Amino acid sequence: MSLSDARWTRAFAALPARWRTVALLAPLLILDGVVFLVPMGYLFRLSLAERTTGGAFVEGSWSLSGYEYVAETPLVHEIFAFTMGFAVLVTALAVAVAVAYAYAAWRATGWWRTALLAGAVLSLFTTIVVKLFAVVLVFSPRGVLNDLLVGAGVLTEPLLLVDNPVGAVIAQLYIVVPYAVLAVYAVLSTLDDHLVEAARDLGADGPAVFREVVVPHARPGVAVAAVISFTWSVGAYPAPLLVGSGSEQTNAILVSQLLLAEFDWPAAAALAVVTVAVVLAALLAGLWRLDDGGELLG
Amino acid sequence: MLELDGLTVTYGDLTAVDDVSFTVAEGEFCCLLGPSGSGKSTVLRAVSGFETPAAGRIRLDGADVTERPPNERDCSMVFQDWALFPYRSVRENVEFGLKMDGVPATERDARTDEMLELVEMAGYGDSRPAQLSGGQKQRVALARSLALDPDLLLLDEPLSNLDRRLRETMQLELKRIHDRVGTTMLYVTHDQDEAFTLGERLGVMNDGRLVQLDAPETVYDDPTDRFVESFLGTTNFVDCRVVDERGPTLGTPFGVDFEAPIDGAGLATGDAVVVSLRPERLSFAPAGRVGANSQAVGDGGEATVSVTTRVEETVYRGSDVRIRLSAGETTLFVEPSVASAPARATMLETRSSSPGRSFRSTVILRYRPIWTSPRRITVPSRLSHPATG
Repeated sequence: MSLSDARWTRAFAALPARWRTVALLAPLLILDGVVFLVPMGYLFRLSLAERTTGGAFVEGSWSLSGYEYVAETPLVHEIFAFTMGFAVLVTALAVAVAVAYAYAAWRATGWWRTALLAGAVLSLFTTIVVKLFAVVLVFSPRGVLNDLLVGAGVLTEPLLLVDNPVGAVIAQLYIVVPYAVLAVYAVLSTLDDHLVEAARDLGADGPAVFREVVVPHARPGVAVAAVISFTWSVGAYPAPLLVGSGSEQTNAILVSQLLLAEFDWPAAAALAVVTVAVVLAALLAGLWRLDDGGELLG
Repeated sequence: MLELDGLTVTYGDLTAVDDVSFTVAEGEFCCLLGPSGSGKSTVLRAVSGFETPAAGRIRLDGADVTERPPNERDCSMVFQDWALFPYRSVRENVEFGLKMDGVPATERDARTDEMLELVEMAGYGDSRPAQLSGGQKQRVALARSLALDPDLLLLDEPLSNLDRRLRETMQLELKRIHDRVGTTMLYVTHDQDEAFTLGERLGVMNDGRLVQLDAPETVYDDPTDRFVESFLGTTNFVDCRVVDERGPTLGTPFGVDFEAPIDGAGLATGDAVVVSLRPERLSFAPAGRVGANSQAVGDGGEATVSVTTRVEETVYRGSDVRIRLSAGETTLFVEPSVASAPARATMLETRSSSPGRSFRSTVILRYRPIWTSPRRITVPSRLSHPATG
């Protein structure tokens, strides 16, 4: 039975217009429900279970002890604050790099443009572990970058760029920047050359064109890049774990510890729920601010 | 004011603008006219600084600006698609240039008000470009460029995205604004009506070269070459032969000879000459109403030749009628106004007639010498010598 099966086509055409829309959306809604809503609901239920030392959680119990743990443990507060700070910093840097990179790609022509865009896309072909290993290769004290800088006489001592907070940030940037670049570039590529020329013609120099024409136009792309970078970085796990010093604990690392090492599922679930809630609130607030043109939230 | 000296712009192997030199005087409204791809817009882009010339100099107000970036040239461009900044209000668009110039806010406001007033958009300061109609966007684009009080305003087919009626209104509006502000304007268009309406002088471009730059009447009546003659309006090119070099008398393919009131020096019997017969200068009357003598030379250089033709096709076009005629072994078309055309009934009869049935009529080739020279021969009926045609 194929999609073009006449019986199905007729049945579909017989539906009222409203139900036809629903029918078309149904596969997506089902997928969303199965892979997202159901697990989220289960997670939420778990966060309201009683904590116990005798197992993962007390089945069928109702309790706020998981949330109490999140609210009252100073270590959790510290990690939470670090995670947010880390995510904000990575987002700011990623968006800045992405705007500059996408602008360069947009300005470039021919092979240059192809090379710059390929650079962004190709890095998506590798897995996160390979990517992080590349970070270590490039940025470690005996890595490519330090060798170059020391060899050229710019530095006398290699910089410590891995196994510390700087490393964690660089590694996280490696993960999110390509997506941010593509988000900004996609919007930038719709910028009409004539607008840039008009601004030049009206006396704007290079930086003024960038500030007055390019950035306002790229705004929706910047918003998307920021959303991607922020949500991803709040959930940062491999980058701080593998390229950080070990003291850059994030919420994700803590959740995994609670789940796997401490076997405290209600606490882990509560922390995850709180993190998701904070991310959603931050995104809504941020988008509200970025979106005074009304393009994203409608 | 604006001086172009041997301007040449190339894209790889393609020469878009080829050795173009001309000057535009202070306060003048100069139009560049040409088919698409003739290089007229490229000239404009080179003047504004968006194209780097391969050769030649551009001088504005005596200063060589060839190497200067667009933002350091005292000229402003109105783009074909207007290029208004979509995220800014009308007011912010208009004051953009002033802001870039560092003009203080109060002065900026006053100037912006003045400009919006000038283009009759005073009530629209807070609108976004997306809320405006094409004509309004056009006005805002104009105000935005004029706000800077540029020495030279460049207009790149600014009206081509508007419908015909609005275009005509805007042409008159543009003329009014030009009269009021007196800014020198260089206007590019492919629309000859527009060029004739607006231009004090008119430059015709073809294949990257400036073929002719003159007053509109001169360009129309005394074209430099066959391209200009064929590009402006419609015409009948008729291959004639010199029958007698005294006169000279030209033999037409319609079977009549006529004495062309031109200087025949350089023409020899047997030479081929292309004559341009403007349809609007040809008279047309049903056969039988014209006197028997087929050739008459009137006073003051007016001469008429009448040719009996057959109507092949009639196209009613509202204000005029286009009639295709066969005369001897060639075809001609005439465009009498509806008032002077033969009665509508007759016209319809010819149109509905079955193929093969012909309607005889007479065309009077009424010609008036306009310009005579051995190389450029024009009669109203205009002739062009093969060496230049």
